[in-house]
Amino acid sequence: MNNRNLLKGLFLMLIATAFGLGSFSYSIGTLGRAGPGMFPMLVASILFLVGIAMVIQSRGVKPVPVQFNIKNISIIIASLCGFALLSEYVNMIVGIVFLVFCASFAGSSYSVVRNVKIAGVLVAIALALQKLLGVQLPLY
Amino acid sequence: MDIISNLLFGFQHALTLHNLLFCAIGCMVGTLIGLLPGMGPLATISLLLPLTYSIPIDGALIMLAGIYYGAQYGDSVSAITMKIPHASSIVACIDGYQMTLKGQTGLALFTAGVSSFIGGSVAIVVLAALAPALGEVALLFGPPDYCALMLLGFVCVSFVTTGSLLGGLGMCMVGVLLGQIGTDVNSGTQRFTLDLPFLADGIGVVSIALGCFGIAEITKNLDSRNERTPFNGQIKLMPTWPEFKRIIPSALRGSAIGSFLGILPGGGPSIAQFAAYAIDKKVSKYRHEIGTGVIEGVAGQAAADEAAARTSFIPLMSIGIPENAVMALMLAAFIIKGVQPGPNMIAEHGELFWGLVASMWIGNCFLLFLNVPMVRYLLSIFRIPYAVLFPSILFFCCIGTYSINNSLQDVLITAGFGLLGYSFLRLDLDPAPLILGFILGPMLEEYFRRSLLLSRGSFTVFFTHPISATLLILIGAFIAWQIVSFYREKPKEPDLELQINEE
Repeated sequence: MNNRNLLKGLFLMLIATAFGLGSFSYSIGTLGRAGPGMFPMLVASILFLVGIAMVIQSRGVKPVPVQFNIKNISIIIASLCGFALLSEYVNMIVGIVFLVFCASFAGSSYSVVRNVKIAGVLVAIALALQKLLGVQLPLY
Repeated sequence: MDIISNLLFGFQHALTLHNLLFCAIGCMVGTLIGLLPGMGPLATISLLLPLTYSIPIDGALIMLAGIYYGAQYGDSVSAITMKIPHASSIVACIDGYQMTLKGQTGLALFTAGVSSFIGGSVAIVVLAALAPALGEVALLFGPPDYCALMLLGFVCVSFVTTGSLLGGLGMCMVGVLLGQIGTDVNSGTQRFTLDLPFLADGIGVVSIALGCFGIAEITKNLDSRNERTPFNGQIKLMPTWPEFKRIIPSALRGSAIGSFLGILPGGGPSIAQFAAYAIDKKVSKYRHEIGTGVIEGVAGQAAADEAAARTSFIPLMSIGIPENAVMALMLAAFIIKGVQPGPNMIAEHGELFWGLVASMWIGNCFLLFLNVPMVRYLLSIFRIPYAVLFPSILFFCCIGTYSINNSLQDVLITAGFGLLGYSFLRLDLDPAPLILGFILGPMLEEYFRRSLLLSRGSFTVFFTHPISATLLILIGAFIAWQIVSFYREKPKEPDLELQINEE
């Protein structure tokens, strides 16, 4: 099952199915007067066929295993989401500090002192962007 | 004569102190960011696009052109010194990196800088001469023709980016589908928004670009525990006269090839550099040495890359069709600024068009006289360890996304695309066609629905219009050629053919 070429096709078929089923809830219309659901449905069906073709093609090729390292991407995504949520509900300085401290877990070494320095510099850059360039950042 | 007066008009417009300043800033910042691992022109432009929002339109576009060229140069620098290429500098890795190993880093960097200046100067003549003419041709295009043209762009670009027709087309269509998210312009229906109000306006292209390129690339580097080695900064920059003489012929060949390939939809810099390298290998005086680290191997491809980058503005500005993801982002920048690129652009915004053409050349001069001497100092960025660099890059991704709409939800969307982009990366699916599909998708739908409305639902309209019929035949030929070469190239794997035939 861990075959990159097969999973590639299945992944595209999954996306096609999601959009294809979704497009049924909008009116399809006729060819002369197309509704909002017509175009996505057409594209999704072609994408589904492409996915099937890839699955078929994968059967003749040697399997390549997928290396999906769940740890690093989860840390990165979590730090981005944390940044957005903290900036929304507390303020952006807290968000930046969280981003640095959380994302660093994905690195090969972890140092609190280094993180404090990075966070300090980034907060200073953010302040400069806000005060000097007029970028609207909810820093505090 | 027309061309000269047009260009003079452009230079007058571009040579104001403000615009020169914007161009210099763009070039500099572009190079700095382009130097960062995993940051090609595409990521750089998407990162710096918000910087241009508060600048008047002509300055903003000139700055973007500066960023683009700066980023391309920064890219070739990281390719030559560390073998970290991006789309526009793959070939620079071959001979450029060999030159670094021979201790000729400075010479390679200088060659790349000078050759791209030559390539750029040749291409500007082509651009000035051809763009208005192509603009008139574009007026002949009706909705079905545009539809076919976009399909052709899809097919060509899918070849270039992955080499695999299926994968590229699939990703294009994923992009088209993602472009469907938001409010339908014809009926006002909200499509695929999951009842989330912030999706009603659709997804920003910057979120997709940063997620699929920036964040996915950072994670990939982290996965492979990629630590940058410190750079020692000892490089000799100026070549001797015989070395300089070797640059010229190769750079001129590269410029000609690049200018031509840049005009074709789907050509663009990445094929141009390969073509120029291949031709140098056939006809150059030093052809036997190419591949072991010689000047010709760097000069030809750099000139072709630059020339193609420049002439690829022709399809964007005269027809309004971007031919690759970088051009698609430039198109987004035009639209944000309220300028619809297309046949009317030269007539309506003449000063903008010629100003941009002139400022591209000025940007090239800046590149030569500012960046090439400065590059040894810029390289000191690699003394910063990656553990410090990557949280900072993430921070800039966040700020970049946020400042477009002042919306924190956009950061969440970017994070989502980071996950999607990482999945694509691990599944070996190239996200570049996705961006293209995302930009072209809504336009394709618009023209598709309009053509069918005009023809009362009959598909024959695509075949009765001469332009669209020709383009569709071209698409058919492209696909047939791809299938034929697919089977020709793989005589060693008979199982694959058999398998497909059996299915």
